[in-house]
Amino acid sequence: MALSIVTLTLPQAVRDPFAAAMRRSVVAPLLSLQYNAELTRRAWEARERTRAERDSVVLAAMTAPELERENARLRRMLGLGRRLRWGFVPAEALFSRSPGEEYTVVLSAGSRAGVRQFSPVVAAEGLVGMVRIVDPTKSIAIVWPHTDFRVSAQSADGSAFGIVGPHLGDEPDRYLLEMRGVPLRTSLTPGTLIVSSGLGGVYPRGIPIGVVQRELRTSEVWANTYLLRPAVLPADVSSVMILHPQRAGSGIDGVWDLASPDSLAADSARRADSVAKARADTERAARPAQARADTTARRTPAPVRRDTVRRQAPVRRDTAPARRDTAPVRRDTTRRDTVRRDTAAPVIPVVPVPPTPRPDTTPRDTTPPPTP
Amino acid sequence: MKSIDVLRIMIAFGLLLVLHYTLRPLLAWRSSPDFLVIALLLVSIRVRPGSAAVVGFLTGLIADSISIDGLGAGALAMSVVAFGASWLKAVFFADNLPLIAFFIFLGKWALDIMYHVASGNLGGGELAMQLLVWSPLAAAVTALFGLIVLALLRPILRTSPA
Repeated sequence: MALSIVTLTLPQAVRDPFAAAMRRSVVAPLLSLQYNAELTRRAWEARERTRAERDSVVLAAMTAPELERENARLRRMLGLGRRLRWGFVPAEALFSRSPGEEYTVVLSAGSRAGVRQFSPVVAAEGLVGMVRIVDPTKSIAIVWPHTDFRVSAQSADGSAFGIVGPHLGDEPDRYLLEMRGVPLRTSLTPGTLIVSSGLGGVYPRGIPIGVVQRELRTSEVWANTYLLRPAVLPADVSSVMILHPQRAGSGIDGVWDLASPDSLAADSARRADSVAKARADTERAARPAQARADTTARRTPAPVRRDTVRRQAPVRRDTAPARRDTAPVRRDTTRRDTVRRDTAAPVIPVVPVPPTPRPDTTPRDTTPPPTP
Repeated sequence: MKSIDVLRIMIAFGLLLVLHYTLRPLLAWRSSPDFLVIALLLVSIRVRPGSAAVVGFLTGLIADSISIDGLGAGALAMSVVAFGASWLKAVFFADNLPLIAFFIFLGKWALDIMYHVASGNLGGGELAMQLLVWSPLAAAVTALFGLIVLALLRPILRTSPA
């Protein structure tokens, strides 16, 4: 202890060379151990930091497609607002998650902004629903899968009329629509754009509702029912426009381009596929990082290639049944035409015509006449 | 003490010394376990107080030569702790885990108090914070690790029959 006190009280000029000598001799191996341990810890921390950065990049890559879609959606909404010019209220829509209210949305605008009951709710893609309850600052609207949703509709060219309501099928088809009461004489082909007809006084004429997907077999005898793919997908119902009653009453001609229904139908189909594509994008963004992590761990690139092949397959399989679904419709239509042709046959009386000898057959008859 | 026992103690001491300069930097905790104190206490209870103080002095010098705070502070603190541990060896011999843990805790805390007071590297509130918060925490962690080390090294530290 006395030695310790002496060491402690030594002048700095003596203590420092003594400590340095110890560091270079006795303590050198321990210092080396400590140095290597520090290096190992820093390498570990750097690895963790790199992993965190990689995860951040993957996360950003996963959110980028969603941001792009949201950006495109908002641009479409801006375009809609420019075309509407007046008589609308932009609002944020929030889907209700409580049981029994899955198909209602809470809108961030109420009576103070001019929203009234039965005001149509539209998006850039088409009809969303109708305001049911109005509060001063909020309102609640039903959207197209709601059981109370009805809209008088027509094909874009005005050749067929009907009433569009929700398709009350199982869960995957629950978000589709049905167009009922279409006269038998009218046949709608898949891809036909259906718009609101303006009858009924709630929805103005010309708002896209959906695109014919196929004909439905129902018990109705005198009318056809068609299954529609809605123009607005649930993912698009985040920002909407509420039309004022005056705006709805004055008509909205030219707001939606119905002159090129093919493009609208194609757009609708493209957006319908976007759910599968978005999922594929997300997986694609996430999996390379996972694959890279696997590669780092195993140092074998083979599993990455196998994952890539597996990932692309479901997307192709998803699109294939949609095309297959359209085939029976054409077949059904052909069959119905055949029946009509058969029923038309008795209307035109068929008079049996006695067979007349061809003029050229007589001269060729070389049989000699019987001699008297 | 037999030479084989001395060899065992030296192996255990060396292992703990290596752990102090490898595992401690790897953990890099704010209150890290002090394997030097554990090693010192292990040796101190097996030798006389004078020898324990010398071992403490040398161990303290090793620790001081790496730190920049002041050569001799650690040596003084470890000498005192080793001397006290050797003097109180009967307590440490009791095969009671909480008692051993408390002994290590006290040893580490006392070492920290003496070291920081002697080196004078901290002052005022900072010193109080160190001595009342961080040092007891480090002492508790050291006691925990001490118990683990004692359990692992029990085969080595068992004294051979006379």
